[in-house]
Amino acid sequence: MNWVEFTLDAAKAVFVVAVLSLGIGGLLTWADRRQGAMIQDRIGPNRAVLWLPKRLAQALALGPALLVAAGMVAVALVSRSLAGEARTERAFVFGHLAVLLVWLTGLSVSRVVAARGVRSSFDAFVAWIGDSRRFFFAGLVAHGLVALPGMTLRGTAVGHHLREFAFGGAPFVFALVAVFGAVYAALAMERADKVGLRIAGLLHPAADGLKTLFKEDFVPPNADRFLHGLAPIVTFFPALVLLAVVPFGDTLCFAPNAAGVLDWASLLEPLASVPAGGTCEVGVRLQVVDLNIGLLYVFALSGTGIVGAALAGWSSDNKYSLLGGLRAASQMVSYEVTLGLTVVGALMIYGTPRFGEMVAWQATHAWGIFTQPLAAILFFTAAIAESKRIPFDLPEGESEIVAGYFTEYSGMKFTMFFFSEYVAVATIGVLMTTVFFGGWHVPFLDRDGFRVAIGESVVAQQALSHVVVVLLGVVAFLGKVILLCMLQLTIRWTLPRLRYDHLMRLGWRLLLPASLVNILLTGLVLLAVEGAGEQILAALAVLVDLSMAALAVGALGAGVALVSYWLRPVRRTRMPRTSAVRLAERLGGTRTARMGA
Amino acid sequence: MEPADRTIDESELGLPSEPMLLNVGPSHPAMHGTVRLVVELSGERILRADVQVGYLHRGFEKMCERGTWSQCFPYVDRCNYVSPMLNNVGFALACEKLLGVEVPERCQWYRMVLGELARIADHLTCTAAMAMELGAFTPYLWMVRARDMIWDVFEEECGARLTHSFGRVGGMAHPPTSTFKEHTASVIAHVLRLLDEVSRLLLNNRIFLDRLQNVGRISAEDAISLGWTGPALRGCGVPYDVRKAHPYLRYGEVDFDVPVGTAGDCFDRYVVRLEEVRQSARIIEQALARLPDDGPISIDDPRVMLPPKSEVYATIEATIQHFKIVMEGLKLPTGEVYSYTEGGNGELGFYLVSDGSGTPYRVRIRPPSFLITAGLERLITGEMMADVVPCFGSLNMIGGECDR
Repeated sequence: MNWVEFTLDAAKAVFVVAVLSLGIGGLLTWADRRQGAMIQDRIGPNRAVLWLPKRLAQALALGPALLVAAGMVAVALVSRSLAGEARTERAFVFGHLAVLLVWLTGLSVSRVVAARGVRSSFDAFVAWIGDSRRFFFAGLVAHGLVALPGMTLRGTAVGHHLREFAFGGAPFVFALVAVFGAVYAALAMERADKVGLRIAGLLHPAADGLKTLFKEDFVPPNADRFLHGLAPIVTFFPALVLLAVVPFGDTLCFAPNAAGVLDWASLLEPLASVPAGGTCEVGVRLQVVDLNIGLLYVFALSGTGIVGAALAGWSSDNKYSLLGGLRAASQMVSYEVTLGLTVVGALMIYGTPRFGEMVAWQATHAWGIFTQPLAAILFFTAAIAESKRIPFDLPEGESEIVAGYFTEYSGMKFTMFFFSEYVAVATIGVLMTTVFFGGWHVPFLDRDGFRVAIGESVVAQQALSHVVVVLLGVVAFLGKVILLCMLQLTIRWTLPRLRYDHLMRLGWRLLLPASLVNILLTGLVLLAVEGAGEQILAALAVLVDLSMAALAVGALGAGVALVSYWLRPVRRTRMPRTSAVRLAERLGGTRTARMGA
Repeated sequence: MEPADRTIDESELGLPSEPMLLNVGPSHPAMHGTVRLVVELSGERILRADVQVGYLHRGFEKMCERGTWSQCFPYVDRCNYVSPMLNNVGFALACEKLLGVEVPERCQWYRMVLGELARIADHLTCTAAMAMELGAFTPYLWMVRARDMIWDVFEEECGARLTHSFGRVGGMAHPPTSTFKEHTASVIAHVLRLLDEVSRLLLNNRIFLDRLQNVGRISAEDAISLGWTGPALRGCGVPYDVRKAHPYLRYGEVDFDVPVGTAGDCFDRYVVRLEEVRQSARIIEQALARLPDDGPISIDDPRVMLPPKSEVYATIEATIQHFKIVMEGLKLPTGEVYSYTEGGNGELGFYLVSDGSGTPYRVRIRPPSFLITAGLERLITGEMMADVVPCFGSLNMIGGECDR
């Protein structure tokens, strides 16, 4: 290992901890708080605010915008000499970027104007356009108008003029709108003495963490001080290091130098493209360590989480803690068994405990959710039980045994328990993604670009550069993880808590036999596939492609559904205006009004 | 659902074991801060339970004996902090029974609507809290939102969201506001919609059903012998509802059903409450239709009712009348009376003794919660520790009226 590799490994470790553990953990904390706030119609995590002096806030608004605008102009000037197909592509990208920025800026301004009222003639113009959704729809139409000539007028004289128009004009429109938006924001700040930085409330988890650092660290007088202090560390540490073995992206290939090793210079030259199915000599795995025991490492570490909970329950000198610790220990041990047995089926199919190879298998064959559907459901259930969250939060069971095993914890020690639960949610998302949802794999995305094909017939094709393909993989991985975390969040907000004996019955009498049946079925199917003829194998290959197509269609449909859901106006029940509401209005605000800055 | 696994006898394990004595409450999330429970646990199973009430004793009955009859209203409000309007109406009815008067028709319908709104608020609170204590947080927020809308109606009618003190002997403090009918109707429609959503979410949920069904069972005989009334008794299959059995106000003229359970378990008590909300909505709909838009809201008797403020400031007769009623209290005739209504949790009785002075000689409140809580020990003995939550929740023990 040389210095380059060491630095890269450290950077990857920081990335994993920051994004997968702390980032998603913080995001989940925020989402939990926001969920409660939305339902109760009260101010949510947005309260967390960092006050900036006016000038600094204006500089923060203007600086990046100016940089982006300058960068755009620079790119436009550099690519002036391009010709032919490359010039068309570039014009296409410029046009879409300009349209995107225009409607995004319009939408943001429109929302601001709607919230704080008309202040200038420009505000009046935006208000005249009306509902901010109109900007989105206009943006969609504009995107279509930009895309249409590229598909129909290619090669004609009109098309040529349009291309030159987009090529020359779009970057400058982009730059102008970026600067305009920033100036508008800066002017809007002019009236205030200070400007609050809220980032949609994402500062709240940070503030929470900071707050608990300064809270009293209470230890019960008769507690075992050493074990009481050790327990949160034993719980927190595995949660953090668990994710080291999970690949969050494809291998990033670099041009090999003379020695055939990675050095600082080669980092600047990633390969332009890698052939489909090709490997590279000099590459960086997007994974902190590639342990040959992979999955077993995860189980070994997550098993130590039990020790933390049991220790906390025992050392606190509290009967509620003891009950919670016992519940935690028995629950986690029971579901560990199911957890281990469900992945046996996956191991049989992938033939490896290494996560990287699992993802590679799924990329070339089918995602685990199609080959191991039963195991995926069982694994998800057992994993949620491992994370000790509703409906499996018996160890805390706040209405039964106060707070369970961490009843006697306060301050940062409490936060460590609390946060390792959120990290466990992220871990479940990561494991599910890697083992059952194809890891960083995007359907129909090969190493050289998109290639939509069912069986032998190719439907569509689009070449992409190597860096873009790898980046798409990373984004897809994070997206899948966040989606699975949100699913867990929804479960947590929907289901009630199980009772102790029901939990044990579910674990031992339902999940465990089902996971054994899954192993049996997997074995039978594997034997059948091994003995199958050519035709059946070909049919299976088509099925695999169809599964990918189903995923792609499903993802697109879900995206459209989500956007249309967001765009739907909120339906509010109309109630007569009571005298309390009228009074509030007279005093300059209503009960639904926001709290002033 | 099959019963919990209780076949293992600890002595077979060959380990020395003794039950763990656990003190639950009064500062415990499930105990609502008002009850103490001392349980003997064998693992998770409750061998013995000792329910101790009285932590919220504030001496309301005694305090009632030192003011005028009208000054009792704030106390009966604070007896039940989830459906105070029912207590208001109940106490006013008791006084009127002693006085031998009947309030005007408009007031009767008005009291019924307000009372049923309070009942809905009560049942929403109970069912919501129960779901939340079982870990289902969203239904709680849904139902509390609905309850908040009902409180908006109360706020508009009497200015207070919780402790209304709105009842008066011989009427109500104010006639309905002009938007009352419209407001109530739209609130009820919304509440029913939210209730349907919550019912769909919970009543089809296996975990929720498992937590409630066959948990905390009690037979109808036991419930009656304990003196249970209200939804808890009706959950056992006894269709006793004061509104049906001994109609007061105009309950005899409206059309509604009394839902009853079959098993007498937590689930039956839960479902009975949900259904009662719908029946209350039916009553409100009919009462709103028959509530006259004008007419007197209080009886026309200068010995009982305060004169209008404008007259108090303008005429000597009204000033004297106001002075006498406020300073001496209205004089209820000598005698005693027991008046009972259907409160949020069952039969809410007021046993009043008057010695003819302006001050009550004795105000005895028969709270449904006190008798119902007496059955908690029977419900949870032999169950799991976790079952304390739904059992106690489904009784909807109101500390204020239980301990008074």
